[in-house]
Amino acid sequence: MLLFSYLLLGGITTGALYALVAIGLVVVNKSTGIINFAQGELFMFCGFLAWMTHVQFGLAYPLAFIAATVGGFLLGIVTDRLAFRALAKTDIVGLVLATVGLAFVLRGTARMIWGGKGDYLSFPPITSPEPVMIGDIMVVPQQMAALAGAIAIMLVFAAFFRFTRIGKIMRATADNAKAATLVGISIQNVYTLAFGAGAAIAGAAAVLAAPLTLLYPDMGFSFFIKGFAAAVLGGLTSLSGAVVGGLLVGVIESMAGGYIDSSMMEVAPFLLIMLVLIICPTGLLSLHKTRDV
Amino acid sequence: MPMFCRRNVLSGLFILALGVPAFSNAYQLFVANLILIYVLLAIGLNVLVGYAGQLAFANAAMFGIGAYATALLQVHLSWPFYFAFPAGTLIAMAVGLLISLPALRLSGLYLALSTLAFAQFTQWVFSHWDNLTFGAGGFKSPPISFAPLPVSKPVGLYYLSLIVATCVTLFAQNVVASRIGRAFVSIRDGDVAAQSLGIDLLGHKALAFGISGFTAGLAGGLYSQLLNFVSPEGFDLFQMVIQKATIVVGGLGSITGSVLGAGAIIIILELLREAKGAQEIVFGGVLILFVTFFRRGIVGSLQQHFRGWDEPLHSARPIGSALPSQVRLGEKESLS
Amino acid sequence: MKINLSKTSACWLAAAMIFSPCALAQQQPGLTATSIRIGSFGALTGPGYLYGKLAMNGVEVVFDQVNAAGGINGRKLELVREDDRCDPAGAIGAVQKLIFQEQVFALIGGGCSNATFAARETIEKADVPFLVVSSVHDGITTPPARTIFSTALTSTIESKAQVEFALDTGAKKIAVVSMRDSWGRARYTPLLEELKAKGVKIVADEEMSPDANDATAQVLRLKQADADAVIMVLFPKPAAVFTRDAQKLGFKPLLIGQTGIGDPAAFEDQVGVPGATAKFRTISMVKYTPDDPAVEKWRKLVEAKFPGDRLSVFNLFGIGSAQVLVEALKRAGPDLTREKLVTELANIREFPVDVYGAPITCTVEDHRCNKAPAWLAKEPAGPVKVLSITRVN
Repeated sequence: MLLFSYLLLGGITTGALYALVAIGLVVVNKSTGIINFAQGELFMFCGFLAWMTHVQFGLAYPLAFIAATVGGFLLGIVTDRLAFRALAKTDIVGLVLATVGLAFVLRGTARMIWGGKGDYLSFPPITSPEPVMIGDIMVVPQQMAALAGAIAIMLVFAAFFRFTRIGKIMRATADNAKAATLVGISIQNVYTLAFGAGAAIAGAAAVLAAPLTLLYPDMGFSFFIKGFAAAVLGGLTSLSGAVVGGLLVGVIESMAGGYIDSSMMEVAPFLLIMLVLIICPTGLLSLHKTRDV
Repeated sequence: MPMFCRRNVLSGLFILALGVPAFSNAYQLFVANLILIYVLLAIGLNVLVGYAGQLAFANAAMFGIGAYATALLQVHLSWPFYFAFPAGTLIAMAVGLLISLPALRLSGLYLALSTLAFAQFTQWVFSHWDNLTFGAGGFKSPPISFAPLPVSKPVGLYYLSLIVATCVTLFAQNVVASRIGRAFVSIRDGDVAAQSLGIDLLGHKALAFGISGFTAGLAGGLYSQLLNFVSPEGFDLFQMVIQKATIVVGGLGSITGSVLGAGAIIIILELLREAKGAQEIVFGGVLILFVTFFRRGIVGSLQQHFRGWDEPLHSARPIGSALPSQVRLGEKESLS
Repeated sequence: MKINLSKTSACWLAAAMIFSPCALAQQQPGLTATSIRIGSFGALTGPGYLYGKLAMNGVEVVFDQVNAAGGINGRKLELVREDDRCDPAGAIGAVQKLIFQEQVFALIGGGCSNATFAARETIEKADVPFLVVSSVHDGITTPPARTIFSTALTSTIESKAQVEFALDTGAKKIAVVSMRDSWGRARYTPLLEELKAKGVKIVADEEMSPDANDATAQVLRLKQADADAVIMVLFPKPAAVFTRDAQKLGFKPLLIGQTGIGDPAAFEDQVGVPGATAKFRTISMVKYTPDDPAVEKWRKLVEAKFPGDRLSVFNLFGIGSAQVLVEALKRAGPDLTREKLVTELANIREFPVDVYGAPITCTVEDHRCNKAPAWLAKEPAGPVKVLSITRVN
């Protein structure tokens, strides 16, 4: 039983990192219908911004957090204005490729700026680095912080979409872009805001995750693909689904590693996803679905 | 017919390709051969993505399966290349058909993820099934010999690739101009509508996946010979990005576009060697610029500026229309 | 008609290619009265850039120094870099471009094992001298290719040292945790062979991915097997995650690293949990960590040439390797040929290099020139210490 609870906890804490990426993907997808393949790279890039502020320039932790989120937001807006705006109406394949292009640009830039500073840069945790006992189980406090952060970000954005005017506008745009235009909503602004918000989430996520994951220019892809998996399991447009999906991917990995074989850890979530999508083509947690023709 | 029309340009390129070994050094011949391999990949992927509208990410995996199957049949069963190559191609095609089964029920981003998951799974098998694939360390495959013919291996392989690429180009052009091609396009533009026209969805989706598996398998077999070394890292997501880039840059829904796109991307990648250390940034930038300013790819621009570039069934969807319908399918939800 | 024509020319080309080595020997490509063109390939992009780009930076700094002092027999060294993206096809393309297009005189570089291994055949056929900087795959140097030498600690050497070290410390239950990508595989296979040869039966054999963020499962399994020494064939990231989770779960075996984690000070920082690295010992290809005052000279040069960079062990790999190449070029004299360079490389004996654990020795039979792994450790909050230098034969 102790084995199970350790594996479960290990899975949940890793899953929280995936959830952090998945939430960003869902916020963008929810209002634009696009999957931002550069989400993992935004996560990486903002992490380095925070590192530069906090470790290199020695500024306080909150400033690093602000640097990462604001930096992320601006990065999202700039890329949207430069590239995605022109693309909003293009083919999905083209759009996917453009976000992949952005991912390459970010990765290359990060390698150029920070790539020569060491192999994996460490980032100090906000919490105490010493593991603490919770019941019978030892945990690293930063892992709890990441989990709490994921849930907090999820709640903030769920409230944003449900209660604020802009949030409602964004949802309306996603539901029916043409109708939204008819009632005077600027789709372009909605898209810009969505990309900005998605990137800002990546920034916040990066600050929470960096002490656990270390920073390196190529960290983005594995986070993106796990985050994408989590978002799809959660139904692509559901914020709570993204969190549950993320935790699920983490727990599957951990359990597969603990009970089957550690070589299965990497592949287990993907095997499961193939199965899930065959049985349930729009994700595990999607219930109310409409199909337009 | 105008001088600078599609047919003349393609014939010109073919004649140029025939002469390449005569005026190129070993490096240039290698790059030329690589282009021919990517022509094959691009054509198959364009049939699947550009014509049939399936947003799949498994082509790099099928490319890998073709390469592994061809090389492993040579290594394990000592088959000569001329048997291993077609057999490897058929294996890749069979896998393509297999992936199409779930694809009937999946669309848009869900299909994207399930094929991505399949690609990750394939990578895992390549690096973990030690007894079969020799693991992540890869293995050497025996080079072919063109024995009675008086050609060296690189030149022989180049002409073999040229023959295969030419045949596949002609074959694909006929397929997309046929009833099958029209069915693909109607599936892309709306599968419910296509179904109501009496088009067999499963059959045609499977066919599109099969064609892409077939060409990826051919490309894989040739690639294993080009390198004489097979290992998992050649068939990862970067590979998939290169292939996607060829069809988007060349022009979605165009066989000519696939040919031109493959050439353009491989040449761009080789030229980018000059941007030492900044390749990623420049490559990413080129992708974004291309998608932004040449939305219909090279072929789209050529069609705009020159006569004689129209292809049967090129991108029926007008530019500037909304996202393809299948992407929007099933992605709505009232509340989070 | 046209086909026949090009077939004929193809035959000509084939003939030309067969005879090209002789032709090259007469002209000496890449060589002028005032310059020597040296090609370098490795990953400039992608995760392998540490072993490619950063190592090349080290090479370049050495070349700059040599050039500032007047060059080698009046010739300045010129470095041409090519990216192999850590991919076999990329490496073959890069090497062909360097040899046939850029017409370089010799090659130095090679970061990723599979990529360099795949390129070996091309280099061997073209008969170009090549000094390996950081690829460790045994197949690159064994059986030896006439023109290819290595200053990297090849994986068999490293594996022997790891096993010897574990047994010397009295470990009874040895476990392995490894990455099974091409980097890990090049080390994992010889390591298991070495263990078998020594009659050691490992108690557990676990895997981690290079991007792993959790090692609970692996740690629990090793703990269950009651391992007292764990050989980590991992990059610093998964190794840090493993070490952190081991500390968290109260598992405290001897942790044995390898050249991939060559800097115990950086590693302590990466693990981030106080005291977790107390029983961590690692091998380095070089005997200094970047903080060592002994490499102050190189730190200044690297950080001046590449602003924003910090001296890393990867730079040191390049620095060491380049010194060996420069020495061989000097010894080959003013009438430089590829042939002479190869001869001189094969004749380097006990040549002291700033950074390696022991002097470098190459022979005609054995092209693995660096056989002296340095064992490093760092007490928590203490300085990095060189524990010992193993000489493997």
